Amino acid sequence: MSGKEDDVITKIVVISSDSVLPIDAAMKIYESETSIVIKETCFGTMVTGPRKDVNRVIQEVVDLDRNHIFVKERGFPPGDERRCRASRGGGPRPGFHYLREEVQMLPMIGRALDDYEKKVPLKKTPEKKKFEIEQLEDIIRSDL
Amino acid sequence: MVKVIIYPTNSLILSDLVERFGHTPIAMMAKIKEKVSTVGVDSPPLNITPEEPKMGLKYAAVEVPAGVRGRMAIVGPMIDEAEAAIIVNESPMAFGCMGCARTNELTKFLIRQRDMPILEVDYPKGDDEAREFVYKIGEFLKSLPKDEKEGEE
Amino acid sequence: MKEEAVVKVALVSCGSEYAGVHGELESVAESVNARLVYPEIDVSSLDTIGKEFGLEAASPDLRLMMARAKAVVEGIADVDGVFITSCFRCAEAAIVRNEVRRYIHRHSDIPVISYSFTERTTAATLLTRMEALTTIARRRHLLAREHQSGLTAGIDSGSTTTKAVIMKDDKIIGSGWVPTIKVIESATEAFDHALEEAGVKREDIQAMGTTGYGRFLVGEHFNAQLIQEEITVNSKGAVYLAGKQKGSATVIDIGGMDNKAISVEDGIPGMFTMGGICAGASGRFLDMTAKRLGIDITELGALAVKGMQEKVSMNSYCIVFGIQSLVNSLAKGSTPEDVAAAACYSVVEQIYEQQLQEVDVKEPLILVGGSSLIEGVPKALSELLKIKVLVPPNSHLIGAVGSALLSSGYVEE
Repeated sequence: MSGKEDDVITKIVVISSDSVLPIDAAMKIYESETSIVIKETCFGTMVTGPRKDVNRVIQEVVDLDRNHIFVKERGFPPGDERRCRASRGGGPRPGFHYLREEVQMLPMIGRALDDYEKKVPLKKTPEKKKFEIEQLEDIIRSDL
Repeated sequence: MVKVIIYPTNSLILSDLVERFGHTPIAMMAKIKEKVSTVGVDSPPLNITPEEPKMGLKYAAVEVPAGVRGRMAIVGPMIDEAEAAIIVNESPMAFGCMGCARTNELTKFLIRQRDMPILEVDYPKGDDEAREFVYKIGEFLKSLPKDEKEGEE
Repeated sequence: MKEEAVVKVALVSCGSEYAGVHGELESVAESVNARLVYPEIDVSSLDTIGKEFGLEAASPDLRLMMARAKAVVEGIADVDGVFITSCFRCAEAAIVRNEVRRYIHRHSDIPVISYSFTERTTAATLLTRMEALTTIARRRHLLAREHQSGLTAGIDSGSTTTKAVIMKDDKIIGSGWVPTIKVIESATEAFDHALEEAGVKREDIQAMGTTGYGRFLVGEHFNAQLIQEEITVNSKGAVYLAGKQKGSATVIDIGGMDNKAISVEDGIPGMFTMGGICAGASGRFLDMTAKRLGIDITELGALAVKGMQEKVSMNSYCIVFGIQSLVNSLAKGSTPEDVAAAACYSVVEQIYEQQLQEVDVKEPLILVGGSSLIEGVPKALSELLKIKVLVPPNSHLIGAVGSALLSSGYVEE
């Protein structure tokens, strides 16, 4: 439960920002807390430590560019033998593929968050409907 | 602040959005963390033992494959615990804990059976859809009670 | 067993780790000095693999299975064998599992086995399969042997009977066949019988191989050079005895407790299935039928070929209820011939329904094991499959002959 303040957790911070580089975030974490271990990966920075400390540090990082830095908790601590690619015979952990997919969407979500914050009105997107049989018939006839 | 189950249950974006708008995401990652850090169980990689498919019988009958019931042993209690839900339909391949289509069907079904606020949105394919996606999720999360419910702990 | 190189087995599975059986898979792999590996794939291929493979499975993990199979076939993943596994009772996974297996089989020489698990699947259940897989990967040179040379012995310690042969220069010069009571005692008895018939002494034997359920115990007792599971041994023995060592063949072995259907290419097993859940599909069922008919098991076959199975209605494949059906038929006036024929048909029908569906049946079809001597069995199988069934000479000694043949590889060493 999130209520427990003393347990050790790992969160992954994914940066999709034009103004903040992953290294800036890493530096921010390095300088802030000694009880925290970080590991940089190709998709983001994993932050491990006591829940309270991890949450505080991550909040500081997110504040650097709040709509373009994303965070989720991670099941395994970094480099866990049971999941680490090196020790389990190649092939990434299963969640990796999905994370990779989602990371590609982050710029889009970031822009959407900016607009939502600025209360930019939504464009009416016309709903796509299945073609009516009559319409199809018309097209077939007109082509003949 | 309410507990919001997300679907896909391991989504970075959904987990982030729920937390960003001040609620607690109920996501797979934390459950896996509980599993893998259980002292005394040694069944790598996920510490799922033959006991889990049995626990899954609460959510799926015995003729349902072991892999579905094993996954339901983790997802089922998440659904029970949730106070609200966000379901993203037609999301792309969500591997890992979301790798079994049959489990996913059952998960969505069981979420929809719960009497709680549920938002269903489609997976965005472009900027306009992403704006709508974030807008709907944002408004939904804002509509949920922020404070601890009275009369409960 | 001797120190041997670690065999890399690609695990192609959609969720063994969620079903509580992953630990069992790891443990069985370790016991045969194999290591499970997970082929690396190109993530973007997951979007297209369904269409490319032609099977658009809804489950992402099944698409991952296809992508991993492709990585194996294309040599992106360097592995020695493939273990394909998915949940028992999942139709979607069963389709993918079978097609992925066929795909690997068609496009590579890498041995593949496939299994559907429940949460109760244990390492012990998987041992013979995994042992066969690693043997095929590890000992291709041994399996390439086409002739028996020197003076060698083979002992097949089966669940029901123990068989032993002495071979010299491609000829069986002595054999023994006894019911299995105590593993080592029965093996000793069969072996001594074979030695006596051959007119040779134990110390003259240059090499020995053991197979069957009791292979480890018997092999250690006699200090055998080769201790080998029955999939490899029997497929090799079958094509050797049938004189079909080159090209494709299908081997069906109806044992006392379980059955094997193996698709063989140049003497090397490819796909195979092992049944072992229901005794109604085994030699034991025929044994019980013979007892009910008041005849010796050796007489059952001749009786069966004279009967017509269609005249007897069998309501169950179960060994208990199946026998009951036969007894009822006798009470209603069926002839012993028809009952014997129905019993044989029931056994092969179960093999057809439960095992041959997973193996590509290619001619020649070689039937081995004790039950192959019951003439009604090959006849029923032939009728069911509409192809000729080959029963090689000494087909009941298959495991012992295969062991003696393969162990002669150690004579020269």
